[in-house]
Formats: sequence, structure tokens, C-alpha cells
Amino acid sequence: MKSQASTVTILKENFWTNNPIFIQILGICSTLAVTNNLVNTGIMTVGVVFVTSFTNLTVSLIKSFIPRKVRMIVQTLIIAFYVIIVDLVLRAYLPEISKALGPYVGLIITNCIIMGRAEAFAQSNPPLISFWDGLTSGLGYMYVLLAIAFFRELLGFGTLFGYQVMPDGFVPWTIMIMAPSAFFLLGLFIWTAKAVMLRKGGAR
Amino acid sequence: MNRRGLTYTVIFTFLAAFVFVAVLALTAEGTRPRVELNQRLLETRAILEALGIEYPAPDQIPGIYEERVRERTEEDFTFYEAAVDGNTRWAVRFSGAGLWGTITGVLALNEELSRIVGFEIVDHNETPGLGGRISEDWFSEQFDGERIPDGTIGIRGDGDTDPENGVVDAVTGATRTSQALEGILNRYIRSLQGALQ
Repeated sequence: MKSQASTVTILKENFWTNNPIFIQILGICSTLAVTNNLVNTGIMTVGVVFVTSFTNLTVSLIKSFIPRKVRMIVQTLIIAFYVIIVDLVLRAYLPEISKALGPYVGLIITNCIIMGRAEAFAQSNPPLISFWDGLTSGLGYMYVLLAIAFFRELLGFGTLFGYQVMPDGFVPWTIMIMAPSAFFLLGLFIWTAKAVMLRKGGAR
Repeated sequence: MNRRGLTYTVIFTFLAAFVFVAVLALTAEGTRPRVELNQRLLETRAILEALGIEYPAPDQIPGIYEERVRERTEEDFTFYEAAVDGNTRWAVRFSGAGLWGTITGVLALNEELSRIVGFEIVDHNETPGLGGRISEDWFSEQFDGERIPDGTIGIRGDGDTDPENGVVDAVTGATRTSQALEGILNRYIRSLQGALQ
């Protein structure tokens, strides 16, 4: 990878041509688990955006001091550090949200996208552009999850952000609440995205 | 110093861990009073809400709690007593194993222990969107006024709206959480009956 990629290219890659979810197929556990309602998905992905950005920034700032042998352990340490910070701040200042999210804040640590970006980008790029890469990766992850959550909540509960939008006679599709439906929707999403890319000739 | 050497690696790892953990420990220490305050407030509010005691604003919760709720202990079993609309109501703080972790909450019963008057979840670690839905209003509201036939209730209904049969709806896709909660509630209803006899 070039050491100085342009901001626009990075944005385009993380949102579309190299999207963490539908091209790299990373962070799938959380895609399956939390996307059955928009509010939880939204808050969790904001957490991921924050952690990816700052992990990338920190890794990039201290990269020249990190011995190669232990670099992955140090990256994990940095990721865990930011995740626990997010958890503490939520507990202290937004207890309601912290309650709604339950164990999923802690599970941000295991999201492969964060470590993937730290290792693939921040380890070999300057701090600011690394921060930008983390931010856009997180946002690229966010919009795909929100799109999946939109359909799952709409069809599974008949609501959007907790507000009833389907007519009274609507029978909820129970399968949409369960993890398997995320597989189908993610599959459809990947299919659509790839089809559009092929048509544009932009596929790799 | 040689950055590939063992000494540098050990020193760096130690320092990195030390610095990050020190910052975390300070943050945890700094936010602890707030976190504990939130937790206490959450529990008192749950007790008030389960008992059906109104409060005008969240900052008045501790005062109203002190004034209206009496804490009682019989043989190591703690429960709460309050008079609401001229009737005595009992509440108990329950906790027990759910599917993934401990579920804690408050259950309030009427004077004769024949009906549930309120149910609130304080804390749980169930799957968000599945078992985690036990903390949503639609779930807790269906307990209000539910009769307790033979001293037990069931969480296994499927579109159950009858308040006389002692059965409330389970959460779709979270059968194990619903079963666990049913067991916890029945255990505490029994203990409360025992303590008041």
C-alpha cells in the first residue's frame, strides 16, 4: 500500500470498493447479532467508529516504538483501552444506553475490523490519515449494519427506531428477529453490491 | 537500544501495559461515584415503579423512597412495604441466573399476595434484541394485575391477555430467558409468602 493515500481514495475504498463488511467480510459476528433493531445497532456502531478512529490514531503515533514481535498484543491492548473507556463513559453519563447495550460494548474488542485497520493501515501510515481511515472504515461498517437493521426491525417488529410504522394487521416475520435472517440479508446485500460493481466495471 | 532485542521488547510491553492500565484505573476511579449513584438510583426507581408510587421528577426519587417505602427483613430475607392508595403492597428485589448472566429486578405484589402489581428489570446480561427484551415496557406491563393462582406464575403465553390465568407472554426467540425468569419469580413469590406467614 502507498504510504500516502489520498483522503478521497480512502473514503471511496472504505465505503464501497473495499468495504469492511461486504468486500472484506469482517465484523460479521456483530452484523448477525445486534442488527435486529436500529437503536442498538446505531449506538454500537457509533462505539465502533470511535474505537476504530482512535485506535488507528494511537497505533500510528507510537508505531515506530512498537517492537514487531509484540505489535499485535499492543494493538489489542490499545483497542481494549478505548473500548473500556467507551464502556465507562456510557455507564457514568448515559446509564440508559449502557443498559440497553448490555454486553455488546465489551464485544467491540473482538470486532476484526478494528484490528484489521490497525494492522493493515495504521501500522504503515502517518497519524492523521490513519485516523481518517479508521473513521471511514467505521462509517462504512455503520451504514451497512444500519441498512440491514432497517429491514430486520421493519419486518421483524413492524417498527423503525421503536416506532410502529406497519399497519395494525401486520404479522411480524419472527425469522427476522433471529440471527439467521441477518445471513440472508447480508447475502442479498453482498449480491446487490457486487452486481452494481460489476455493472460499473469497478469490481476487483 | 536495539529495538528487536528481548530487553527492549519486555520493557516496552511493560511500559505500554502500565500506562494504558493506569489511565483506565484513573478513569474508573473518577467515574465510580457517578456509576454507583446511577446504580442506586436505578434500583430505588425500580422499587418505586414496581410498587406503583408516582414521583414528579427523577431527582425526588431518593426523598420519596425514604418517606414511603419501609424495608423489612425476616430471617435474612429482605423485602419492602409501602402503602399505596390505602392498601399495603409488598415488593421484593429478585436476582437469579438467566441464560447468560444474572437477572435482577423488582417484583411487587398486593396485600394478600394474590396478584402482581408491578414488575421491573434492573439489570441483565441477556442477548440484546432477544432475551434483552425482558426490560422493555410491553414485557413488564403485562405483569400488572396478573393473578397468581396456586402461588406460581408462568411465562409461556403466546398472545395471552387474560389477567386471571397467571400466564404472561414469553419473549419470542428467547425461550430459555423466559423460562429462567419464570423460575426466579416463582422462587421469590414463595419466599415472600413464607416470610409473611
